[in-house]
Amino acid sequence: MDSVRITKIIRDNALYQCLECGKCSAACPRMLAGKEYSPRLLAQKLISERDDEAFIESSVWECLTCSLCQERCPSGVDISRVILEMRALLAAEKGLKGYRAHDGALHSWMRMMTSPDLKQNRLGWVSPDLKTAQKGRVAYFSGCAPYFDVFFAHLQVDTLTIARDSVRLLNFLDIEPVLLKNERCCGHDLLWAGDRENFETLCRLNYEEFKSAGIEEIIVSCPECYTMLGTHMPEVIPGFDIKVTLLLDLLQKEVRKGGKAFRPLETTATFQDPCRLGRMSGCYEAPRFLLGQIPGLVLREMENSGRGAICCGNSGFINCDAYSKNIQVQRLREVSATGAQLLVTACPKCMIHLSCAMRDPARNEKVEVNIRDLTSILARGIEWTG
Amino acid sequence: MKRPNLLAICCNWSPWTCLNAAGRTNTQLPPNLRIIRVMCIGRINQALILKAFEYGADGVILLECRDEDCRYGPGPAVGHSNVQLVRSLLDLLGIDQQRLVECRFEAHEKDRMAAELWAFAGRIEAMGANPAKPRQEREAV
Ligand code: SF4
Ligand code: SF4
Repeated sequence: MDSVRITKIIRDNALYQCLECGKCSAACPRMLAGKEYSPRLLAQKLISERDDEAFIESSVWECLTCSLCQERCPSGVDISRVILEMRALLAAEKGLKGYRAHDGALHSWMRMMTSPDLKQNRLGWVSPDLKTAQKGRVAYFSGCAPYFDVFFAHLQVDTLTIARDSVRLLNFLDIEPVLLKNERCCGHDLLWAGDRENFETLCRLNYEEFKSAGIEEIIVSCPECYTMLGTHMPEVIPGFDIKVTLLLDLLQKEVRKGGKAFRPLETTATFQDPCRLGRMSGCYEAPRFLLGQIPGLVLREMENSGRGAICCGNSGFINCDAYSKNIQVQRLREVSATGAQLLVTACPKCMIHLSCAMRDPARNEKVEVNIRDLTSILARGIEWTG
Repeated sequence: MKRPNLLAICCNWSPWTCLNAAGRTNTQLPPNLRIIRVMCIGRINQALILKAFEYGADGVILLECRDEDCRYGPGPAVGHSNVQLVRSLLDLLGIDQQRLVECRFEAHEKDRMAAELWAFAGRIEAMGANPAKPRQEREAV
Protein backbone atom coordinates (compact mmCIF):
# COMPACT_ATOMS: atom_id res chain seq x y z
CA MET A 1 0.00 0.00 0.00
CA ASP A 2 1.18 3.47 -0.88
CA SER A 3 2.23 4.77 2.51
CA VAL A 4 2.78 8.34 1.37
CA ARG A 5 -0.75 8.54 0.04
CA ILE A 6 -2.16 6.99 3.17
CA THR A 7 -0.40 9.62 5.25
CA LYS A 8 -1.95 12.29 3.10
CA ILE A 9 -5.41 10.77 3.45
CA ILE A 10 -4.95 10.68 7.20
CA ARG A 11 -3.82 14.32 7.32
CA ASP A 12 -6.56 15.59 5.04
CA ASN A 13 -9.23 14.01 7.18
CA ALA A 14 -7.97 14.80 10.66
CA LEU A 15 -7.28 11.19 11.53
CA TYR A 16 -4.17 12.15 13.50
CA GLN A 17 -6.52 13.96 15.86
CA CYS A 18 -8.04 10.62 16.87
CA LEU A 19 -8.18 10.29 20.68
CA GLU A 20 -8.80 6.55 20.63
CA CYS A 21 -11.96 7.15 22.61
CA GLY A 22 -13.87 4.48 20.71
CA LYS A 23 -17.09 6.47 20.39
CA CYS A 24 -17.14 5.75 16.67
CA SER A 25 -17.04 2.00 17.17
CA ALA A 26 -19.67 2.17 19.89
CA ALA A 27 -22.03 4.01 17.53
CA CYS A 28 -21.32 1.99 14.41
CA PRO A 29 -24.47 0.24 13.16
CA ARG A 30 -22.39 -2.67 11.88
CA MET A 31 -20.96 -3.16 15.33
CA LEU A 32 -24.40 -2.86 16.92
CA ALA A 33 -25.70 -5.43 14.48
CA GLY A 34 -23.27 -7.94 15.93
CA LYS A 35 -20.29 -7.67 13.62
CA GLU A 36 -16.85 -7.26 15.11
CA TYR A 37 -16.15 -4.03 13.39
CA SER A 38 -14.22 -1.10 14.70
CA PRO A 39 -13.52 2.18 12.97
CA ARG A 40 -11.33 3.10 15.93
CA LEU A 41 -9.12 0.10 15.30
CA LEU A 42 -9.00 0.97 11.62
CA ALA A 43 -7.80 4.44 12.54
CA GLN A 44 -5.10 2.92 14.72
CA LYS A 45 -3.96 0.50 12.03
CA LEU A 46 -3.85 3.23 9.41
CA ILE A 47 -1.77 5.43 11.67
CA SER A 48 0.68 2.98 13.12
CA GLU A 49 0.24 -0.58 11.86
CA ARG A 50 0.01 -0.31 8.12
CA ASP A 51 1.51 -3.73 7.57
CA ASP A 52 -1.76 -5.30 8.72
CA GLU A 53 -3.07 -5.04 5.19
CA ALA A 54 -5.67 -7.76 5.56
CA PHE A 55 -7.35 -5.94 8.43
CA ILE A 56 -7.21 -2.58 6.71
CA GLU A 57 -8.60 -3.94 3.47
CA SER A 58 -11.51 -5.75 5.01
CA SER A 59 -12.41 -2.79 7.22
CA VAL A 60 -12.23 -0.37 4.34
CA TRP A 61 -14.56 -2.43 2.16
CA GLU A 62 -17.00 -3.31 4.92
CA CYS A 63 -17.85 0.20 6.10
CA LEU A 64 -21.41 1.36 5.40
CA THR A 65 -20.15 4.93 4.92
CA CYS A 66 -23.18 6.13 6.85
CA SER A 67 -21.13 8.78 8.74
CA LEU A 68 -22.74 8.09 12.09
CA CYS A 69 -19.27 7.74 13.60
CA GLN A 70 -18.32 11.19 12.45
CA GLU A 71 -21.38 12.56 14.21
CA ARG A 72 -20.11 11.08 17.47
CA CYS A 73 -16.42 11.77 17.06
CA PRO A 74 -15.20 14.48 19.45
CA SER A 75 -12.27 15.18 17.14
CA GLY A 76 -14.21 15.65 13.93
CA VAL A 77 -12.61 12.73 12.14
CA ASP A 78 -14.31 12.14 8.81
CA ILE A 79 -14.16 8.36 8.67
CA SER A 80 -16.40 8.10 5.60
CA ARG A 81 -14.10 10.34 3.64
CA VAL A 82 -11.12 8.26 4.77
CA ILE A 83 -12.97 5.18 3.56
CA LEU A 84 -13.81 6.85 0.24
CA GLU A 85 -10.21 7.74 -0.42
CA MET A 86 -8.84 4.45 0.88
CA ARG A 87 -11.18 2.57 -1.44
CA ALA A 88 -9.90 4.53 -4.42
CA LEU A 89 -6.35 3.80 -3.33
CA LEU A 90 -6.93 0.09 -2.74
CA ALA A 91 -8.93 -0.28 -5.94
CA ALA A 92 -6.14 1.29 -7.95
CA GLU A 93 -3.51 -0.94 -6.34
CA LYS A 94 -5.29 -4.21 -5.88
CA GLY A 95 -8.35 -4.00 -8.10
CA LEU A 96 -11.95 -3.41 -7.17
CA LYS A 97 -12.84 -5.51 -4.18
CA GLY A 98 -15.72 -5.34 -1.83
CA TYR A 99 -18.53 -7.74 -2.38
CA ARG A 100 -20.90 -6.03 -4.77
CA ALA A 101 -24.53 -6.68 -3.96
CA HIS A 102 -26.62 -8.26 -6.70
CA ASP A 103 -23.35 -9.57 -8.13
CA GLY A 104 -22.47 -6.10 -9.34
CA ALA A 105 -25.34 -5.80 -11.81
CA LEU A 106 -25.91 -2.19 -10.82
CA HIS A 107 -22.26 -1.28 -11.08
CA SER A 108 -22.23 -2.91 -14.52
CA TRP A 109 -24.96 -0.73 -15.95
CA MET A 110 -23.43 2.32 -14.31
CA ARG A 111 -20.12 1.54 -15.95
CA MET A 112 -21.79 0.93 -19.30
CA MET A 113 -23.02 4.50 -19.08
CA THR A 114 -19.43 5.70 -19.46
CA SER A 115 -19.75 4.84 -23.13
CA PRO A 116 -19.63 8.12 -25.06
CA ASP A 117 -21.98 6.94 -27.81
CA LEU A 118 -24.75 5.88 -25.46
CA LYS A 119 -28.21 6.72 -26.77
CA GLN A 120 -30.51 5.89 -23.91
CA ASN A 121 -34.23 5.28 -23.99
CA ARG A 122 -34.71 6.54 -20.51
CA LEU A 123 -37.71 8.84 -20.71
CA GLY A 124 -40.51 6.31 -21.15
CA TRP A 125 -41.80 7.21 -17.68
CA VAL A 126 -42.86 10.73 -18.59
CA SER A 127 -46.65 10.59 -18.41
CA PRO A 128 -48.84 12.99 -20.47
CA ASP A 129 -49.86 15.04 -17.44
CA LEU A 130 -46.27 16.15 -16.82
CA LYS A 131 -45.19 19.45 -18.29
CA THR A 132 -41.62 19.34 -19.43
CA ALA A 133 -39.61 21.52 -21.75
CA GLN A 134 -37.33 20.69 -24.67
CA LYS A 135 -35.16 23.69 -23.99
CA GLY A 136 -34.64 25.82 -20.95
CA ARG A 137 -32.27 26.67 -18.18
CA VAL A 138 -33.59 24.29 -15.51
CA ALA A 139 -33.36 20.52 -15.72
CA TYR A 140 -34.64 17.77 -13.44
CA PHE A 141 -32.15 14.95 -12.89
CA SER A 142 -33.79 11.55 -12.53
CA GLY A 143 -30.58 9.57 -12.16
CA CYS A 144 -30.90 5.80 -12.13
CA ALA A 145 -34.64 5.84 -11.31
CA PRO A 146 -35.70 4.22 -14.62
CA TYR A 147 -33.14 1.46 -14.07
CA PHE A 148 -34.03 0.77 -10.45
CA ASP A 149 -37.65 0.64 -11.46
CA VAL A 150 -36.91 -2.36 -13.69
CA PHE A 151 -34.35 -4.02 -11.48
CA PHE A 152 -36.27 -3.80 -8.21
CA ALA A 153 -39.76 -4.29 -9.61
CA HIS A 154 -39.98 -7.52 -7.59
CA LEU A 155 -39.71 -5.50 -4.37
CA GLN A 156 -42.62 -3.34 -5.52
CA VAL A 157 -40.45 -0.25 -5.19
CA ASP A 158 -41.61 2.18 -7.71
CA THR A 159 -38.75 4.64 -8.09
CA LEU A 160 -40.31 6.24 -11.15
CA THR A 161 -43.22 7.45 -9.06
CA ILE A 162 -40.67 9.58 -7.22
CA ALA A 163 -39.48 11.04 -10.52
CA ARG A 164 -43.03 11.73 -11.74
CA ASP A 165 -44.05 13.27 -8.43
CA SER A 166 -40.95 15.46 -8.45
CA VAL A 167 -41.88 16.81 -11.87
CA ARG A 168 -45.47 17.32 -10.65
CA LEU A 169 -44.21 19.37 -7.73
CA LEU A 170 -42.04 21.42 -10.06
CA ASN A 171 -44.98 21.95 -12.40
CA PHE A 172 -47.00 23.13 -9.43
CA LEU A 173 -44.30 25.73 -8.83
CA ASP A 174 -44.59 26.72 -12.51
CA ILE A 175 -41.30 25.12 -13.42
CA GLU A 176 -41.29 23.05 -16.58
CA PRO A 177 -37.99 21.25 -16.31
CA VAL A 178 -35.92 19.92 -19.17
CA LEU A 179 -35.47 16.15 -18.99
CA LEU A 180 -32.21 15.16 -20.58
CA LYS A 181 -32.36 12.15 -22.87
CA ASN A 182 -28.83 11.12 -22.14
CA GLU A 183 -28.06 12.12 -18.62
CA ARG A 184 -26.12 9.36 -16.94
CA CYS A 185 -25.85 7.89 -13.50
CA CYS A 186 -24.46 10.46 -11.04
CA GLY A 187 -21.67 8.00 -10.26
CA HIS A 188 -22.37 7.66 -6.54
CA ASP A 189 -22.09 3.91 -6.39
CA LEU A 190 -18.99 3.78 -8.58
CA LEU A 191 -17.21 6.44 -6.56
CA TRP A 192 -18.03 4.69 -3.29
CA ALA A 193 -16.92 1.39 -4.81
CA GLY A 194 -13.49 2.91 -5.39
CA ASP A 195 -13.95 3.24 -9.15
CA ARG A 196 -12.76 6.81 -9.45
CA GLU A 197 -11.89 6.63 -13.11
CA ASN A 198 -15.37 5.71 -14.26
CA PHE A 199 -16.91 8.11 -11.78
CA GLU A 200 -14.93 10.94 -13.32
CA THR A 201 -15.91 9.87 -16.81
CA LEU A 202 -19.57 9.99 -15.80
CA CYS A 203 -19.06 13.46 -14.33
CA ARG A 204 -17.50 14.73 -17.54
CA LEU A 205 -20.17 13.19 -19.75
CA ASN A 206 -22.95 14.56 -17.58
CA TYR A 207 -21.38 17.98 -17.52
CA GLU A 208 -21.12 18.00 -21.32
CA GLU A 209 -24.75 16.93 -21.51
CA PHE A 210 -25.84 19.75 -19.20
CA LYS A 211 -23.74 22.34 -20.98
CA SER A 212 -24.75 21.41 -24.49
CA ALA A 213 -28.41 21.70 -23.47
CA GLY A 214 -27.72 25.15 -22.00
CA ILE A 215 -28.69 24.07 -18.49
CA GLU A 216 -27.86 26.49 -15.69
CA GLU A 217 -29.62 24.78 -12.81
CA ILE A 218 -30.20 21.12 -12.00
CA ILE A 219 -32.91 20.08 -9.60
CA VAL A 220 -32.43 16.72 -7.92
CA SER A 221 -34.71 14.72 -5.68
CA CYS A 222 -32.26 11.95 -4.75
CA PRO A 223 -29.85 12.81 -1.91
CA GLU A 224 -27.09 10.67 -3.43
CA CYS A 225 -27.29 12.52 -6.74
CA TYR A 226 -27.30 15.73 -4.70
CA THR A 227 -24.01 14.93 -2.97
CA MET A 228 -22.46 13.83 -6.24
CA LEU A 229 -23.54 16.75 -8.42
CA GLY A 230 -23.31 19.30 -5.66
CA THR A 231 -20.10 18.26 -3.88
CA HIS A 232 -18.06 15.72 -5.80
CA MET A 233 -18.64 16.77 -9.39
CA PRO A 234 -17.23 20.28 -8.85
CA GLU A 235 -14.07 18.57 -7.56
CA VAL A 236 -13.72 16.83 -10.89
CA ILE A 237 -14.85 19.59 -13.27
CA PRO A 238 -12.76 22.74 -13.03
CA GLY A 239 -14.93 25.84 -13.22
CA PHE A 240 -18.14 23.89 -12.56
CA ASP A 241 -20.80 26.56 -12.99
CA ILE A 242 -24.15 24.84 -12.65
CA LYS A 243 -26.40 25.43 -9.71
CA VAL A 244 -27.50 22.22 -8.03
CA THR A 245 -30.73 22.46 -6.07
CA LEU A 246 -32.27 19.89 -3.80
CA LEU A 247 -35.98 19.62 -4.46
CA LEU A 248 -36.78 19.52 -0.73
CA ASP A 249 -34.88 22.77 -0.12
CA LEU A 250 -36.68 24.42 -3.00
CA LEU A 251 -40.07 23.26 -1.70
CA GLN A 252 -39.34 24.42 1.80
CA LYS A 253 -38.40 27.85 0.50
CA GLU A 254 -41.48 28.09 -1.70
CA VAL A 255 -43.92 26.87 0.96
CA ARG A 256 -42.47 29.37 3.44
CA LYS A 257 -43.28 32.16 1.02
CA GLY A 258 -46.92 31.34 1.66
CA GLY A 259 -49.91 30.85 -0.60
CA LYS A 260 -49.49 27.08 -0.70
CA ALA A 261 -50.95 24.39 1.50
CA PHE A 262 -51.35 20.65 1.60
CA ARG A 263 -54.55 18.67 1.64
CA PRO A 264 -55.09 16.78 4.91
CA LEU A 265 -53.75 13.27 5.33
CA GLU A 266 -54.93 11.53 8.47
CA THR A 267 -52.04 9.29 9.41
CA THR A 268 -49.14 8.80 11.78
CA ALA A 269 -45.81 8.77 10.06
CA THR A 270 -42.17 8.36 10.90
CA PHE A 271 -39.21 9.56 8.89
CA GLN A 272 -36.05 7.73 7.86
CA ASP A 273 -33.26 10.28 7.53
CA PRO A 274 -31.09 9.17 4.61
CA CYS A 275 -27.38 9.45 5.45
CA ARG A 276 -26.68 11.37 2.24
CA LEU A 277 -29.44 13.84 3.05
CA GLY A 278 -28.88 14.31 6.76
CA ARG A 279 -25.32 13.73 7.81
CA MET A 280 -23.76 14.40 4.43
CA SER A 281 -25.87 17.36 3.29
CA GLY A 282 -27.02 18.69 6.65
CA CYS A 283 -30.67 18.61 5.61
CA TYR A 284 -32.75 17.60 8.64
CA GLU A 285 -35.21 20.41 8.87
CA ALA A 286 -36.75 20.62 5.40
CA PRO A 287 -38.39 17.17 5.46
CA ARG A 288 -39.78 17.77 8.96
CA PHE A 289 -40.99 21.23 8.09
CA LEU A 290 -42.76 19.94 4.99
CA LEU A 291 -44.33 16.97 6.77
CA GLY A 292 -45.44 19.39 9.47
CA GLN A 293 -47.42 21.35 6.88
CA ILE A 294 -49.74 18.43 6.15
CA PRO A 295 -52.86 18.72 8.31
CA GLY A 296 -53.73 15.48 10.06
CA LEU A 297 -50.28 13.97 9.66
CA VAL A 298 -48.66 13.25 13.00
CA LEU A 299 -44.90 12.76 12.88
CA ARG A 300 -43.50 10.33 15.43
CA GLU A 301 -39.74 10.23 15.53
CA MET A 302 -37.91 6.95 15.85
CA GLU A 303 -35.65 6.29 18.79
CA ASN A 304 -32.67 7.13 16.59
CA SER A 305 -33.49 9.97 14.28
CA GLY A 306 -32.08 13.14 12.83
CA ARG A 307 -28.33 13.27 13.36
CA GLY A 308 -28.37 9.90 15.07
CA ALA A 309 -30.50 8.15 12.47
CA ILE A 310 -29.49 4.61 11.64
CA CYS A 311 -28.57 3.58 8.14
CA CYS A 312 -30.93 1.65 5.86
CA GLY A 313 -28.32 -1.11 5.93
CA ASN A 314 -26.37 -0.62 2.78
CA SER A 315 -24.78 2.07 0.73
CA GLY A 316 -23.51 1.99 -2.81
CA PHE A 317 -24.55 -1.67 -3.15
CA ILE A 318 -21.33 -2.80 -1.53
CA ASN A 319 -21.20 -5.54 1.07
CA CYS A 320 -24.83 -6.28 1.68
CA ASP A 321 -24.70 -9.15 4.13
CA ALA A 322 -26.39 -10.68 7.14
CA TYR A 323 -25.38 -7.66 9.21
CA SER A 324 -27.02 -5.34 6.73
CA LYS A 325 -30.19 -7.35 7.12
CA ASN A 326 -29.84 -7.17 10.87
CA ILE A 327 -29.50 -3.39 10.76
CA GLN A 328 -32.56 -3.15 8.55
CA VAL A 329 -34.66 -5.33 10.82
CA GLN A 330 -33.58 -3.32 13.87
CA ARG A 331 -34.53 -0.18 11.99
CA LEU A 332 -37.91 -1.58 11.06
CA ARG A 333 -38.46 -2.52 14.69
CA GLU A 334 -37.81 1.10 15.59
CA VAL A 335 -40.44 2.02 13.03
CA SER A 336 -42.98 -0.36 14.60
CA ALA A 337 -42.15 0.97 18.06
CA THR A 338 -43.35 4.41 17.02
CA GLY A 339 -46.72 2.93 16.10
CA ALA A 340 -46.57 4.87 12.82
CA GLN A 341 -48.73 3.66 9.95
CA LEU A 342 -46.43 5.09 7.36
CA LEU A 343 -42.67 5.09 6.92
CA VAL A 344 -41.54 8.09 4.94
CA THR A 345 -38.18 8.00 3.19
CA ALA A 346 -36.44 10.58 1.08
CA CYS A 347 -33.94 8.45 -0.83
CA PRO A 348 -34.85 5.72 -3.31
CA LYS A 349 -32.09 3.52 -1.88
CA CYS A 350 -33.55 3.62 1.63
CA MET A 351 -36.81 2.55 0.10
CA ILE A 352 -35.18 -0.25 -1.85
CA HIS A 353 -33.15 -1.65 1.05
CA LEU A 354 -35.84 -1.38 3.69
CA SER A 355 -38.45 -2.89 1.35
CA CYS A 356 -36.02 -5.70 0.66
CA ALA A 357 -35.81 -6.52 4.36
CA MET A 358 -39.59 -6.27 4.76
CA ARG A 359 -40.23 -8.67 1.93
CA ASP A 360 -37.76 -11.29 3.12
CA PRO A 361 -39.85 -14.43 2.69
CA ALA A 362 -37.82 -16.33 5.28
CA ARG A 363 -38.64 -13.99 8.13
CA ASN A 364 -41.58 -14.86 10.32
CA GLU A 365 -41.57 -11.67 12.30
CA LYS A 366 -43.76 -9.12 10.67
CA VAL A 367 -41.79 -5.96 10.06
CA GLU A 368 -43.77 -4.76 7.09
CA VAL A 369 -45.07 -1.21 7.06
CA ASN A 370 -46.37 1.11 4.35
CA ILE A 371 -43.43 2.91 2.87
CA ARG A 372 -43.55 6.01 0.67
CA ASP A 373 -41.23 8.67 -0.53
CA LEU A 374 -41.66 12.15 0.85
CA THR A 375 -41.95 13.56 -2.67
CA SER A 376 -45.03 11.43 -3.33
CA ILE A 377 -46.69 12.44 -0.08
CA LEU A 378 -46.12 16.10 -0.87
CA ALA A 379 -47.17 15.82 -4.51
CA ARG A 380 -50.48 14.15 -3.70
CA GLY A 381 -51.89 17.15 -1.92
CA ILE A 382 -50.19 20.45 -2.60
CA GLU A 383 -52.52 23.29 -3.58
CA TRP A 384 -52.74 27.06 -3.86
CA THR A 385 -54.56 28.87 -1.10
CA GLY A 386 -54.87 32.15 -2.98
CA MET B 1 -16.01 -3.60 -38.87
CA LYS B 2 -14.01 -6.06 -36.88
CA ARG B 3 -15.88 -9.32 -36.28
CA PRO B 4 -18.37 -8.83 -33.46
CA ASN B 5 -17.68 -10.33 -30.07
CA LEU B 6 -20.19 -13.07 -29.50
CA LEU B 7 -20.75 -14.98 -26.30
CA ALA B 8 -22.72 -18.17 -25.83
CA ILE B 9 -23.56 -19.32 -22.34
CA CYS B 10 -24.22 -23.01 -22.63
CA CYS B 11 -25.97 -25.39 -20.26
CA ASN B 12 -23.95 -28.51 -19.52
CA TRP B 13 -26.75 -30.93 -20.49
CA SER B 14 -28.72 -30.96 -23.74
CA PRO B 15 -27.10 -27.91 -25.38
CA TRP B 16 -23.59 -29.05 -24.44
CA THR B 17 -24.38 -32.46 -25.90
CA CYS B 18 -25.30 -30.69 -29.14
CA LEU B 19 -22.05 -28.74 -29.10
CA ASN B 20 -20.08 -31.89 -28.41
CA ALA B 21 -21.74 -33.64 -31.31
CA ALA B 22 -21.03 -30.62 -33.51
CA GLY B 23 -17.37 -30.82 -32.52
CA ARG B 24 -17.15 -34.56 -33.19
CA THR B 25 -18.60 -34.15 -36.66
CA ASN B 26 -16.52 -31.08 -37.47
CA THR B 27 -19.60 -28.93 -37.90
CA GLN B 28 -18.46 -25.36 -38.41
CA LEU B 29 -19.57 -22.79 -35.84
CA PRO B 30 -19.04 -19.03 -36.02
CA PRO B 31 -15.34 -18.49 -35.25
CA ASN B 32 -15.99 -15.32 -33.28
CA LEU B 33 -18.22 -17.10 -30.80
CA ARG B 34 -16.86 -17.71 -27.32
CA ILE B 35 -18.57 -20.36 -25.26
CA ILE B 36 -18.92 -20.55 -21.50
CA ARG B 37 -20.20 -23.84 -20.13
CA VAL B 38 -22.31 -23.72 -16.98
CA MET B 39 -24.03 -26.51 -15.09
CA CYS B 40 -27.45 -24.97 -15.63
CA ILE B 41 -28.73 -21.81 -17.27
CA GLY B 42 -30.57 -21.19 -13.99
CA ARG B 43 -27.17 -20.42 -12.48
CA ILE B 44 -26.78 -17.39 -14.71
CA ASN B 45 -28.15 -14.26 -13.17
CA GLN B 46 -28.83 -10.82 -14.57
CA ALA B 47 -25.50 -9.50 -13.35
CA LEU B 48 -23.51 -12.07 -15.32
CA ILE B 49 -25.37 -11.31 -18.53
CA LEU B 50 -24.93 -7.57 -18.03
CA LYS B 51 -21.28 -8.13 -17.30
CA ALA B 52 -20.82 -9.75 -20.71
CA PHE B 53 -22.05 -6.54 -22.31
CA GLU B 54 -20.02 -4.43 -19.94
CA TYR B 55 -16.91 -6.34 -20.97
CA GLY B 56 -17.55 -5.71 -24.61
CA ALA B 57 -19.89 -8.38 -25.99
CA ASP B 58 -21.85 -7.36 -29.09
CA GLY B 59 -24.27 -10.22 -28.67
CA VAL B 60 -25.06 -12.85 -26.03
CA ILE B 61 -26.95 -16.08 -26.60
CA LEU B 62 -28.13 -18.40 -23.82
CA LEU B 63 -28.23 -22.05 -24.89
CA GLU B 64 -30.80 -23.76 -22.71
CA CYS B 65 -32.56 -27.08 -22.30
CA ARG B 66 -36.29 -27.33 -22.80
CA ASP B 67 -38.30 -26.83 -19.61
CA GLU B 68 -39.17 -30.50 -19.33
CA ASP B 69 -35.54 -31.59 -19.76
CA CYS B 70 -33.97 -29.44 -17.04
CA ARG B 71 -31.99 -31.62 -14.62
CA TYR B 72 -32.58 -29.26 -11.74
CA GLY B 73 -36.12 -28.00 -12.21
CA PRO B 74 -36.63 -24.36 -13.00
CA GLY B 75 -33.40 -23.61 -14.94
CA PRO B 76 -34.81 -22.53 -18.31
CA ALA B 77 -37.62 -20.58 -16.67
CA VAL B 78 -35.11 -18.70 -14.55
CA GLY B 79 -33.03 -18.08 -17.67
CA HIS B 80 -36.08 -16.75 -19.44
CA SER B 81 -37.06 -14.33 -16.70
CA ASN B 82 -33.47 -13.06 -16.46
CA VAL B 83 -33.35 -12.49 -20.19
CA GLN B 84 -36.60 -10.51 -20.05
CA LEU B 85 -35.33 -8.32 -17.24
CA VAL B 86 -31.90 -7.71 -18.74
CA ARG B 87 -33.54 -6.89 -22.06
CA SER B 88 -35.51 -4.11 -20.37
CA LEU B 89 -32.28 -2.75 -18.93
CA LEU B 90 -30.54 -2.99 -22.32
CA ASP B 91 -33.44 -1.12 -23.86
CA LEU B 92 -33.01 1.71 -21.34
CA LEU B 93 -29.33 1.82 -22.24
CA GLY B 94 -30.25 2.06 -25.90
CA ILE B 95 -28.83 -1.36 -26.70
CA ASP B 96 -30.92 -3.35 -29.20
CA GLN B 97 -32.79 -6.03 -27.28
CA GLN B 98 -32.06 -8.52 -30.07
CA ARG B 99 -28.46 -8.57 -28.92
CA LEU B 100 -29.56 -10.87 -26.11
CA VAL B 101 -31.33 -14.07 -27.10
CA GLU B 102 -32.10 -17.47 -25.67
CA CYS B 103 -32.56 -20.70 -27.54
CA ARG B 104 -33.68 -24.12 -26.32
CA PHE B 105 -32.46 -27.46 -27.59
CA GLU B 106 -32.92 -31.15 -27.16
CA ALA B 107 -29.80 -33.26 -26.93
CA HIS B 108 -29.93 -34.48 -30.54
CA GLU B 109 -30.34 -31.11 -32.22
CA LYS B 110 -26.76 -30.31 -33.19
CA ASP B 111 -27.65 -29.21 -36.71
CA ARG B 112 -30.37 -26.89 -35.53
CA MET B 113 -27.96 -25.48 -32.95
CA ALA B 114 -25.30 -24.78 -35.58
CA ALA B 115 -27.93 -23.11 -37.77
CA GLU B 116 -29.18 -20.97 -34.85
CA LEU B 117 -25.66 -19.90 -33.93
CA TRP B 118 -24.85 -18.89 -37.51
CA ALA B 119 -28.12 -17.01 -37.78
CA PHE B 120 -27.38 -15.24 -34.49
CA ALA B 121 -23.86 -14.34 -35.66
CA GLY B 122 -25.29 -12.99 -38.92
CA ARG B 123 -27.90 -10.86 -37.16
CA ILE B 124 -25.37 -9.31 -34.81
CA GLU B 125 -22.92 -8.69 -37.64
CA ALA B 126 -25.67 -6.87 -39.53
CA MET B 127 -26.41 -4.74 -36.46
CA GLY B 128 -22.79 -3.68 -36.12
CA ALA B 129 -20.90 -2.96 -32.95
CA ASN B 130 -22.73 -2.47 -29.69
CA PRO B 131 -22.92 1.31 -29.30
CA ALA B 132 -22.73 1.24 -25.54
CA LYS B 133 -19.29 -0.15 -24.91
CA PRO B 134 -17.53 1.36 -21.95
CA ARG B 135 -14.48 3.34 -22.91
CA GLN B 136 -11.83 0.91 -21.77
CA GLU B 137 -13.41 -1.87 -23.81
CA ARG B 138 -13.35 0.24 -26.97
CA GLU B 139 -9.70 1.03 -26.49
CA ALA B 140 -8.89 -2.64 -26.06
CA VAL B 141 -10.26 -3.65 -29.48
S1 SF4 C 1 -14.71 8.70 17.68
FE1 SF4 C 1 -13.09 9.90 16.66
S2 SF4 C 1 -11.55 10.24 18.27
FE2 SF4 C 1 -12.87 8.60 19.01
S3 SF4 C 1 -11.84 6.71 18.34
FE3 SF4 C 1 -13.30 7.23 16.73
S4 SF4 C 1 -12.12 8.43 15.26
FE4 SF4 C 1 -10.93 8.39 17.18
S1 SF4 D 1 -30.76 -4.67 1.14
FE1 SF4 D 1 -31.61 -5.85 -0.54
S2 SF4 D 1 -31.77 -4.39 -2.20
FE2 SF4 D 1 -30.32 -3.53 -0.71
S3 SF4 D 1 -28.29 -4.19 -1.38
FE3 SF4 D 1 -29.05 -5.68 0.10
S4 SF4 D 1 -30.03 -7.30 -1.15
FE4 SF4 D 1 -29.82 -5.45 -2.40
